[in-house]
Amino acid sequence: MIRDITLGQYYPGDSWAHRLDPRVKIAVTFVYILALFLIRDFGGHAVAAAALGVAVAVSRVPPKFILRGLKAVFIIILFTFTLNMLMTKGEPLIKAGFIVVTKEGLYNAVFMGLRLVLLIVGSSLLTLTTKPVRLTDGIESLLKPFRRFGVPAHELAMMMTIALRFIPTLLEETDKIMKAQMARGADFESGSILRRAKNMTPLLVPLFIGAFRIAQDLAMAMEARCYRGGEGRTSLHELRLRKQDAAAIFLTAVFLSFILLERWLSPLWFDI
Amino acid sequence: MTNMRKTRFWVQAAIIAAVYAVLTVAFAPISYGPIQVRISEALTILPFFTPAAVPGLFVGCLTSNLLSPYGALDIVCGSLASLLAAGGSYALRGAPALVPLPPVAANALIIGAMLRFAYGVEPSFWICALWVGAGEVAACYVLGYPLMLYMRRHKDIFRLD
Repeated sequence: MIRDITLGQYYPGDSWAHRLDPRVKIAVTFVYILALFLIRDFGGHAVAAAALGVAVAVSRVPPKFILRGLKAVFIIILFTFTLNMLMTKGEPLIKAGFIVVTKEGLYNAVFMGLRLVLLIVGSSLLTLTTKPVRLTDGIESLLKPFRRFGVPAHELAMMMTIALRFIPTLLEETDKIMKAQMARGADFESGSILRRAKNMTPLLVPLFIGAFRIAQDLAMAMEARCYRGGEGRTSLHELRLRKQDAAAIFLTAVFLSFILLERWLSPLWFDI
Repeated sequence: MTNMRKTRFWVQAAIIAAVYAVLTVAFAPISYGPIQVRISEALTILPFFTPAAVPGLFVGCLTSNLLSPYGALDIVCGSLASLLAAGGSYALRGAPALVPLPPVAANALIIGAMLRFAYGVEPSFWICALWVGAGEVAACYVLGYPLMLYMRRHKDIFRLD
């Protein structure tokens, strides 16, 4: 049952967005998130939505696939929308018993709901178009300058690579242990959340012991091959910035200028 | 640290990260979101046994959030909360009953703040913090603490030399 889980949400492809350097994609995503927080009105949201639309079209990830991802967070969007609508004080618009919907509440609800959708779709585009291993390479490279402050960039990236490599193996192991324990009468699927959490102990202990055995074997294999850490190591896939990356950086700068301009020109001021 | 010890330290940390990610993914529907009980958070007791759990839990959270539907913000805030929590738990390893406390506090405050200020979840920051905190108490104290007491019998598997 566990083996059916799809890992990550990478959508395989060879689009312009897929081929971009992971470092650039990480930077662009953070600029986009920052821009979303600079937006003060719907004009800004329109600019952000248009930019996102272009990015989705360029990535060639089917909108259906992206919408399916949104389904997972539908509850939090609905939750944010409803609470914003009902909890904001202001000029009453609809009154039904103790439920009062205000003008400001409706504005806030739509505004925050939109921001949330743009935030989630925008940032999931990064993981949709980048393989986890490439993302790891990007994170290692971005962390390199912080090595002088004691950040173990290479070690963290190596850990992520090992973790990603062993997730499927350990998932299979978890599945086996669960079935074995269920055959002995363990119950992982019924009862309250608290009861279910308590019932996990017979799963976790053997999983741990198995996993640490793997760690011991792996460390021994690495030592036998004279692994000495990050100093002087080369990489099979060197990251190199290309013309397309420069174009992406330029377009992101244009987008950010539009957002700043729109914010400056906007006559409305809703402090949210 | 000798080279051999160093390799073991990082590999142990990597495997802890993998176990964390596996447990998050395996129980995905209740692992993400405002009302979450991450079974994997029970692993936050591991700094009691080994310092390798500090980077391990950080990278585990980072890796599982790379697979999360919540995107980049969750990757940063969630991982940061895990790192702070694991560091806190390691510092408190002298008082076993307090080991699960830092993850409860760090997640309630950081993820609560993320839900309130970035995702705009109403009505207040404290309610958001309470929600996340309640889930964390379930994972860390109801599951994590008994696990810690049990794992003490198998302390040897955490040895680095």
